[in-house]
Amino acid sequence: MLTGYLAPTSGHIRIDGIDAVTSSIRARERLGYMPEGVPLYREMRVHEYLRHRGALKRVPNLAEAIDRSLQLAGVTDVRTRIVGQLSKGYRQRVGLAEALIADPPILILDEPTSGLDPNQVRQFRELVRSFGGKKTVLLSTHILSEVEAVCDRVIIIREGQKVADLKPGDAETSLEDVFAELTTSGATEDAS
Amino acid sequence: MKSAWVVLKRELGSFFVSPLAYVVLTSWLVWNGVVFWVLTEFYARNAVSSGASTPLSGFFGGSTLFFIPLLVFVPVLTMRLVAGEKQSGTIEPLLTAPVSEASVIFGKYGASLVIWCVLWLPTLVYAWIMSQHGSVDWGATAASYFGIFCLGAYFMAVGLLMSVLAPTQIIAAVLSFVALGVLFTVGIGEFVLDGTAREVCAYVSMWGHMQSFSKGVVDTRHLVFDLSVAVLAVGLSIGALKARRHG
Repeated sequence: MLTGYLAPTSGHIRIDGIDAVTSSIRARERLGYMPEGVPLYREMRVHEYLRHRGALKRVPNLAEAIDRSLQLAGVTDVRTRIVGQLSKGYRQRVGLAEALIADPPILILDEPTSGLDPNQVRQFRELVRSFGGKKTVLLSTHILSEVEAVCDRVIIIREGQKVADLKPGDAETSLEDVFAELTTSGATEDAS
Repeated sequence: MKSAWVVLKRELGSFFVSPLAYVVLTSWLVWNGVVFWVLTEFYARNAVSSGASTPLSGFFGGSTLFFIPLLVFVPVLTMRLVAGEKQSGTIEPLLTAPVSEASVIFGKYGASLVIWCVLWLPTLVYAWIMSQHGSVDWGATAASYFGIFCLGAYFMAVGLLMSVLAPTQIIAAVLSFVALGVLFTVGIGEFVLDGTAREVCAYVSMWGHMQSFSKGVVDTRHLVFDLSVAVLAVGLSIGALKARRHG
């Protein structure tokens, strides 16, 4: 809903002060979004895909923006490879490069580290931390250790209701215990 | 509208790197080659019966041989437009990018029209062959191609709409096949019914449409019909894509 993919049945959404329902396109311009599972056009080459997405997002100085996002996501070495032939970890990072291409102030990442190896997970966390103070990153994940490692605010949502809003350092008990206490099965966890 | 152009370019790029494109183009040309040869043979053997019609006018809509492949090829070409993106999940990044639904649909529709033209381009060779062995009515040929373009504008719009509505490519293909098949069959009513029903059927008839164009008669009734169906289907596609957000 935040990304404009679905419309809310009630209430309002504001992205960076812009109404996401009435000014959907302007709100979407402020966002970089990496959906769960990272769907990409598999027949395109990495740089072609980024050029296509950059053009859709009307990115100025596209060539530079592509180089920058390739580098940030650590996929410069596969820039001429075909997306469909890349490993899951690489595709995941191409998705991240795509989310970064327009240099948006807000990033929404859905399960961004699934399928990454431990080194890539560490790199990813460093990257997210490096945005600290510059970008708002909304991370939706079930991996609580990741939340503890990178987030400065945690919101736990259970069946659509916010059940907790805290800072990871605050709780005396670990986040895992808090989570177990607040939720039973089938709940999701969001943090930013 | 710049976004529509970006969508169009990607659509064409992905079509022409897919094996589907070459399977479709090859089988299309094989089919039409055979049809053209059969018609030429027929007219060569029955010179008396031919009268005003020629192999070319016969080729462009003079027989069901023209429509049978279209009813199959059009759904295959349009099924992937939106349903393909739904299946692969790429519809999510597409619709969360700062582009309007109208740009997405115009881009996809534009790409399908280009593909339609690419399909027909090689058949110009048949007209050239005929011109080497006799006289060709270039006016009627031009009218035929114009008629084909209009027919394509309407077929592709129907296929696009089905692709927006269907959850998967196969369902999109079946729906467009049924929609075009029904429109074709209703048109046949022109030869079966009489009175007002006949008039209505004749108005819808693809067959009558192509028969008049292939003789060089550009009938505005057919143009109005093609254009209205195309505008309606494209408009509904945009609406359906917008409605999806609320589904």
